[in-house]
Amino acid sequence: MALVIEDLHKRFGAVEALDGISFSVQPGEVFGFLGANGAGKTTTMRIVLGLMKADSGTVTWGGRPVHDWPRRTWGYMPEERGLYAKMPVVDQLVHFASLYGIPRSRARADARAWLARFRIGDKADSRLETLSKGNQQKVQYIATILHGPDLLLMDEPFVGLDPVNVAMLKAAFLEMRDQGKTLVFSTHQLDQAEELCDSVAVIDHGRLVTTGSTRDVRRSTGHQVVRVATAGDDRGWLESMPGVTITRDGVDYAEVRVADGVSPQRILDAAIANGPVLRFEVGDPSLEQVFVERVGALEDDERTLASAGTVA
Amino acid sequence: MNRTANVVAIARREFSIRIRTRSFLIGTLLLVLGVVLIALLPTVISKIDTVDATKVTIVAADDALAGRSAATVSTLLNAGANAGQSGTSATAGQPDFVVGIATDLPAARAAVTRGEAAGVLGIERAADGTLAFTYYSNDPASGRTAGLLQQAANAIAVGDRLDRMSIPASQQATLFAPAAFAVAWPDPARTEPIQGGAAAVGQDMLAFGMTILIFMIVIMYGNWVAMSVVEEKSSRVMEVVLNAATPFQLLAGKVFGVGLVALIQYTAVVVAGGAALLGQPTIQSVVLGGPAAASTVPQGLTPELLLLFGLYGVLGFLLYASLYAAAGSLVSRMEDVTSAVMPMTLMSTGGYLIGIYASMGLLDARSGWITALTFVPFLSPFMMLGRVATGVAQPADVAVSLVLLVATIALAIWVAARIYAVGVLLYGQRPGARAVWRLLREGM
Repeated sequence: MALVIEDLHKRFGAVEALDGISFSVQPGEVFGFLGANGAGKTTTMRIVLGLMKADSGTVTWGGRPVHDWPRRTWGYMPEERGLYAKMPVVDQLVHFASLYGIPRSRARADARAWLARFRIGDKADSRLETLSKGNQQKVQYIATILHGPDLLLMDEPFVGLDPVNVAMLKAAFLEMRDQGKTLVFSTHQLDQAEELCDSVAVIDHGRLVTTGSTRDVRRSTGHQVVRVATAGDDRGWLESMPGVTITRDGVDYAEVRVADGVSPQRILDAAIANGPVLRFEVGDPSLEQVFVERVGALEDDERTLASAGTVA
Repeated sequence: MNRTANVVAIARREFSIRIRTRSFLIGTLLLVLGVVLIALLPTVISKIDTVDATKVTIVAADDALAGRSAATVSTLLNAGANAGQSGTSATAGQPDFVVGIATDLPAARAAVTRGEAAGVLGIERAADGTLAFTYYSNDPASGRTAGLLQQAANAIAVGDRLDRMSIPASQQATLFAPAAFAVAWPDPARTEPIQGGAAAVGQDMLAFGMTILIFMIVIMYGNWVAMSVVEEKSSRVMEVVLNAATPFQLLAGKVFGVGLVALIQYTAVVVAGGAALLGQPTIQSVVLGGPAAASTVPQGLTPELLLLFGLYGVLGFLLYASLYAAAGSLVSRMEDVTSAVMPMTLMSTGGYLIGIYASMGLLDARSGWITALTFVPFLSPFMMLGRVATGVAQPADVAVSLVLLVATIALAIWVAARIYAVGVLLYGQRPGARAVWRLLREGM
C-alpha cells in the first residue's frame, strides 16, 4: 500500500513547477516533504489528491491510480487554512465529514470528542471566527481526520502554532501513525521533520534533491559532525583547528564539520584542554545541515531556506 | 462516493446558513411587505382619497341652475375619477368629489384661498341669456379637474340652451343618450375577445410584475451564488471541500441550495400577494366601511400564467446561476465579483428592459425582432411572459422557447462545471477571455 509518485511534471506558463518528481511513501510511516516556499510542495500534494492534473507522471496508492480510491481515503489539510468563518465549529466539521459519507450523528459525536481532546470542547458551538488562530488550526486538523482517512496529506501543519499546541498536534500525529495511518506533511521547519519523520523527500525548484529514510538522508553527505560545548564562551581554539569548519555557532553548543582524515578525537582533546567539557557528540549532520549543503550547492541565489529553517 | 449525497449535503449547508442570515429575513419581509402593499394599492388609494375628498363649490345666478349644475358636475367629476380607479370608490360608497352650492362668490373664493375647498365654479348669465363659467382654483388650469369641469360646463350650457328653446326634459335625455361604440381587431382572422380595459390592464400588469420578480431572482440570487463561490475561494475552504466533492457537485449543490432559498422567499411573496388580493374586499370593508364584496381573483391571473411564471423563474435562475458560479470561480476576491459577472448582468438587464418596454407598449410586442428575441434562451425568461399576457404568443411558441431554454441550461451547466473545475484553484490574476477559452478546451 505504498504511495508511489513517479516522474511528475507540471508547468504553469513559463514556470516549470515540477520537473520530474519521484518518491515513494511506505504505508504507516510519517513522511516529511521538505522544501522552500515555491519549491513545488503544494503542487505535488494537489496532484496526489487529484485536485490538479499533472502534465505527465503517475501517482498510485497500493498500485492503483489515486482516483480509483474513494475520496474518504484521503485527508487533506491545505497550507492556508480553509474553514467557514461564520459557521459554528461543530456544524462545519459535521458538514465536511458528511461530504465523505459519514453519518451526521456519528460525525457530530466524533467531532465533539476530538474538540474536547484538543481542549476546545467549550467552543464547539461558537462561530469559527471567534476562535484564536491556534484553535482554528486544531479545528482544521480535526476536519482533516474526522472521516478516518488512510492517508493524510498536510501542508505546513505546524505553522503558527505555539509550543503547547505543537506538542498536542505531534501527539495526535503519532497516534494516527500507531493506528496504521500514513502521514505526509510538508514543512520548512526541519527540526520538526527530524523529530517526527521516518522518511523525507527534499525538493527544490521543482526537482527532487534527495529522498530516503531520515537516517539515510542525514548520512548522505558522507561526513559526520561533531557537537561540542565547553564551559568557556571563547571558541577561538575551535576556529583555529585545521580541518574543522564551524557550521553552527550556537550559544548552547557549536556544530563543526570535520574534514576527511581528521579524527573527532583530536577535537575532544582540544576541548578538554580548553576547559570543562559540557557536551561532546559525534553524529550525522542535522537535516537542516544536509538541506543547506545540498540545496545551497545546487544554486546559490535567492536562497531563503537556510534562514527559514532556523527562524522557524 | 454518492454523487447526489454530496450535492444534497452542499445544498443543505448553503440553504441552512443563508436562511438564518438577517439579510434573508429582512429581505423577505421587505419583499412580502412590498407585494402586499402593491396588491392592496386600490384600497390604499381609496382610503387616501376618502380622507380628503375634493370639495368644489358652485355659485350660480339662480338656485335652480345651481342645483342642476351641482348634479351634473358631481356626476361627471365622480364618474371621471372612478373610471381611472377601477370603480373602487363607488364600491365603498364614498364620492371622490363633494359638490356644494353657495351664493356668496367672494366668500367662496376666499374659502378656496384658505384651502378649505379645491375650487369655485362661478356661473353667470349674460344679458342675452348665455351662461359664462369661471373656475377659481389654485390647481393648474390644464389639470384633470379643470378639464372635467369644462366638459360639465358644456353639458350645463347645452342643457340650458335646450331649456330656453323649450325642449322638454324627457327629450333632452334622448338627445344625451350615448352613441354605440365598439373596438375590434384590425385582423379579421383574429376571433378571440378583445379584453376590456380593466382585464387587459390586469394581465399586463401581472406579466409586468412577474417579469420584475424573475429579473430580481436572477440578479439577486445569481450574485449570491457567485459570492458564495468567491467566499469559499478566498477563505480557501474550497481546497478542503474539493478533496471530498467534485467541482460539479459543489456547483450543483450551491445552485440548488441558493435556489431553494429563492423558492421559499418567492413562495412567501406569491402567497402573501395572493392572500392580499383575495382578502382585499374584506380589508376594504374594514378600512373603508360598508359591506364586503365577494373575493375575486384578478381576471388575468390564470393558472397558466402562474405556471409559466414558475417555469421561467426556475429555469432562468438555473441558467444564470450556473454561469454566475462559473464567473465567481474565476476571481479570488469579493471586490472582483461585480466585474466577473458583468456579462450576465448586461444580458439579463437587456432582456429585462426589452421585455418591460414591450409589455408597457413602448416597443411593439408584435414586431418581428421582439418575437425572435423571445426565443433566445438568455432573454426568454424576461420576455415571454409579456407576450403570453398580451395574447400574442401561441402555446407552440412557449413550448419552443422552453425547450431551447432547457437545452441551453444543460450546455451552460457543462461549460460552467468545466470553468469551475479549473477556476476554483486559480488564484491571483483574473484570467482573460482567451485564457478561459483555453481552459474550456483543455480542461485542467
